[in-house]
Order: sequence, then structure tokens, then C-alpha cells
Amino acid sequence: MKSSASDLPTSAFVPERRSQSIAAPPGYWRIAWISPRGNACSLLIERRGVAVSAGLGVALVCACVLYLSLGSMALAPSAVLPALFGRGEMISVFTVQELRLPRLVAACLTGAAFALAGVLMQTLARNRLATPGIIGIDNGATAFAVASVVGMGVSLAPPAMALAGAATAAALTFGLVAGGGTQGYRFIVAGIGVGAVFGAVTQLMLARVAIDTANAAYPWTVGSLNARPGDAVGLLAVGLGVGVIAAFIVARPLSLMRFKDATAYGLGVNVKARRFQVLMLSVVLTALAVAVAGPVGMVGLIGPEIARSLSSSRQVPLVASLLAGALVMVLADLAGRTLLAPIEIPVGIVTAVIGGPWLLWILMRPQRSHA
Amino acid sequence: MTPAEPSPTLTTESLALSYGPRRVIDSLGVSLPSGQVTAIVGPNGCGKSTLLSGLARLHKPESGAVLLNGADIQNLPARTLATQLALLPQEAVAPEGLTVSELIRFGRQPHQGWLRQWSAEDQRVVEHALAAAGLEALAERPLEALSGGQRQRAWIAMTIAQQTPLLLLDEPTSALDLGHQIEVFELVRHLACHGRTVVMVLHDLASACRYADHLIALCDGQIVAQGAPAEVVTPELVRTLYQVDCTLMIDPDTGSPLLANVRRASP
Repeated sequence: MKSSASDLPTSAFVPERRSQSIAAPPGYWRIAWISPRGNACSLLIERRGVAVSAGLGVALVCACVLYLSLGSMALAPSAVLPALFGRGEMISVFTVQELRLPRLVAACLTGAAFALAGVLMQTLARNRLATPGIIGIDNGATAFAVASVVGMGVSLAPPAMALAGAATAAALTFGLVAGGGTQGYRFIVAGIGVGAVFGAVTQLMLARVAIDTANAAYPWTVGSLNARPGDAVGLLAVGLGVGVIAAFIVARPLSLMRFKDATAYGLGVNVKARRFQVLMLSVVLTALAVAVAGPVGMVGLIGPEIARSLSSSRQVPLVASLLAGALVMVLADLAGRTLLAPIEIPVGIVTAVIGGPWLLWILMRPQRSHA
Repeated sequence: MTPAEPSPTLTTESLALSYGPRRVIDSLGVSLPSGQVTAIVGPNGCGKSTLLSGLARLHKPESGAVLLNGADIQNLPARTLATQLALLPQEAVAPEGLTVSELIRFGRQPHQGWLRQWSAEDQRVVEHALAAAGLEALAERPLEALSGGQRQRAWIAMTIAQQTPLLLLDEPTSALDLGHQIEVFELVRHLACHGRTVVMVLHDLASACRYADHLIALCDGQIVAQGAPAEVVTPELVRTLYQVDCTLMIDPDTGSPLLANVRRASP
């Protein structure tokens, strides 16, 4: 059977003629070259996407400078850069390099990972509500990570536990709607239920251990960048790097998965396989981010929402979501560190307090954004 | 633009399709004539949409097979199939804000790759698809701003851009008023004239008689009649399919069967 399949006529390769001018579609730049093997290659770059990403990138850099300069010991923004490279007063160098920079890196990485996981899951489910935070994956990861912190007889590192928890929650959610697919509210309702159960399990574990142990696990339950395990940050950095590459590989089929399954399938997307890959990617990114910062699921909702409101609907705004997520996380943690100083508000609470109402405004303002 | 390859043949071999325990299509053997418009008709729930999704490999057969040039489509890579067979599902929806030409460009997807994102061929085919569907003036309009008929033509243009010799349409006119229906049917005829094989599911027998070359009448997952409308449509067939009586006439302009005085069947 396989051999007869290859006998099918495939569309004839039409070599590009030099003389023919090829106009990029409106809103794109086209880059074309001839590969060493003589194939005509072409890339399309969406202008709006580039502009949005550049804008968000600049905003993120500004936010990072602000983040490094503000705090209990304020530095002039002009002193931040020298301090970053070890020049200037000892105390500034120490504050920037040892205290603020690691935390800033963790904020950027977790924000980017949560938002990328969010936009992937939303696209997969064709629903803006279907982020890992809402369908219980954050809570699953948290419950397992807390179990390891409070020592419920398991001694795996938090990232491994978070990964196991996220996978369990995802498997439960998808198992409960078996056959129903990832579309529609059934899936979301099942996810909310699974999340509620894991949330309760977390609380139950905390209620049963000594107060000191419970305190040690507290950052996990609200989402905080205060107690970040070093190895978890490293793992997240690697995971995010791999995840971004993987997301780019699935970007083209992903933009077709925004259509109905039948349409995507008709255009040659192996929907089932792609859906599984995207789901895995989203679950792993969420778990790695939870292992660092706990459940800051709101970023998975806000980041993609900002990205979508700025971007065109030609493609899924992966880069913009990632940058917006990092930006939100950095600003939220900055606010949490400085607003009520010396008391620190956990970043999970800041994103919920500021992000909640803001999200409502986004959802309720006159429609302009692209679902 | 005529697909360059000789028209492939799509046939089924004792095809059975089920939803869970319910068998919707049973041991069905059809052959779809190349370069013609075939309409699949039948009462609600007779399995016509299921048959179409089976033909497009959206629905895995319980037994039997759908053969494209004699090869079982289950064994074809998704992308290969997408260069041979295009499908327009019922009530297709697009991401908000997408323009007509953006939608049509998605039709080029099976021919593109990571390092082959926009070729001269892509450009030529998309321009042709816009022209064939009469949408040049609306190319940069968002889909939401179009009329129902224009929007449906844009979707068909996307499948034209896919450059497949076979085109499957599920109820392409179900939500359209008469004028918009005619727009779509004339486009379909135009495509068949240029060598495409079109298969469409229709719930309206009158339009099927008028616009199809070949009719497949389904009832309870079985074929009750197939052939040219003028040959197979009889008052008895209409009664079998829809439990209605009618007077059958011949359209003086086109020679196709016309249903008149349709009424509930007398017991």
C-alpha cells in the first residue's frame, strides 16, 4: 500500500524565474535566496509581528533596568549598567548582581514560560479561557511540589515533582473529557474541577504539617519569586530554550489549528499528533515555571491577551506572548517588592490583584482583539 | 487553472462508517466521476455528511476503504492527501480579523514549507483563486465584513488555492439566501468546467438536480439511486427519500428535472 501511495502525482515543482517579480503579501517582508542545492527558498516575515515584538522587547528592557534600580536601596538607572558589569560601588554591584539580577532572570523566564504555555493551550483549545492556570495544571504541579517540600514521603526535587503533577492534572483533565476533544466548555469545566481538587489537596497537606514546614511551602501556594530553587531556574532556562524552538517548529500548523479541526486536517495538518505535541509543550513549560515561582497562572492569561490585542490575526503571536509574559512578571514582581516595602507582596497576588480587573476590562471593552 | 495531473479517481470499497455503536454508512461502494459535479443527497440523518468526512479521511472507516487512485487514503501522509483533496467543512469558521486574501493564502499551506513560504507559484495561484471566485475587489477586506455568499466564495477560493484535483464541499449553501446560493453554485460549475472533480453534500434536491452532473441518493446509509439527475430522479425516488409526493417536470431551459407541487405523501 505504501508504495502505491508514492505513485500519486504530486504537484510539479515550478522553479522560480528570476525575471518574475514576486511581491510579498500585504504586511509581510519576503526574503528569498537560492540554497546551495539550488532550491528556491523564501521566508515571510510579518511586519506587524516584528514591530510588536520590538516594542515589547524595548519595554521589557526598560522594565528590567527599573527592576534592577528600584528597591530598598535605590540606584540611579545610570548606575545600574556599570554595576551589572561589576563597576561602581561595591554595595551597588552586590545589590544588582547578587540580589536583584537572579530574581530578575527568574521573573523573565517564568513570565515567558507561563505566557508561552498559555498561548499554546489557548490555541489548542480554541478558547481564550483555556490556559494551564485555569484548567488546573498549575494547581497539579503545585500540589506535587508542595508534597515534596512538606516531605510526604517523597524526596524528588520540586521540578520533577511539578512535572509529575502537571502531567497528572493534564492527564486527568483530558481523560475526563475523553472523546469530547479539547474544544468547548466541557474541557474547561473538567479542568477547573481538577484544579480545585489539587488546590484542596495542597491546603490539606499544609494543614497537616508543622507550621514551620508549612511556612517553607507557602511561596509555592501563592506564587512568589522569593524562594526560587537555583537548580529549578537553570532547568527552566534550558526548558524554555528548547520550548521556544519547538514552538517555532509547530508555529505554522499551529496557525491552522485556530480553524476547525476539519479545516486544519484538510490543509494537511496531522491534527491529532500536533495537538499532543503542543499539549506536552504547554504542560512541560508550565511545570518548569511552577517549580520556580509557584502558580502564577494569571500571567498565562494576561501575556497572550496583551500580545493578541497588539498583533494581527495572521498568525499565533508566540514571540509577542512570551515577551509580554516576561514584561508582566517583571513589572508585577517589581510592584510586589516596592509598593508596600519592606513588606513584600508575592508576585502571584500582585498579578491577581492587578491582572484580574485589567483582564476584565480587556474582555469587556468593545471587540477589536482577535480570539 | 486546471490541475496539471490527470484527474485522480476517488472510490469507496464496501465502506462502513460508525459513530460509536451506530453504523451510519454500511458496505457502500461509490465511484465519483472525474471532472464532474457529484451531489450527495438524502434525508436528514441519512449519513451524507458522514460519507463526505469518510471520503476526506476525517472519519476512520470501521471496515472497507476509501481509495484514491486505488491507494487506501488511510496510508497517505496528511500533507500528500491535502495536495490531492480539499475539503470545505460545514459552517467553517476563521480566526477573527482575517482578510480574504489571508484566508486564501492558507490554502497554499500543503505546498509550502519552513523554507518555502512564498513562491511565484503561490502568488500566481492565490491571484487566480481570487479572480476565479470574483473576489479581487474584496481581497483586503476582513471576512466578517463580507456577505454570506462572498464569505462562502472566499472559503471556496481557499480550496481553489490548494490546487487539488478533488474538492469536497459539505452543504456549501446551507445558510445562504437564493442569490448567494446561485453565486456559489455557479462558482462550483466553473470549477468543474476547468477539470476539477467536485463532490458536494446538499440537502436541497432541486439545486442538486440543477447543478450536479451525477447524483448519489442516500437513505439510511445505503445508496438508493445514483446517476445523472435526469435519469435517476423520479417521483418514486423523491417519495423514498423524503416521504413527499411531487409532480416531476423538465426544465425547458436546462433539461434538468424540476420538482413541482411537492406535498406530504398520501398514505
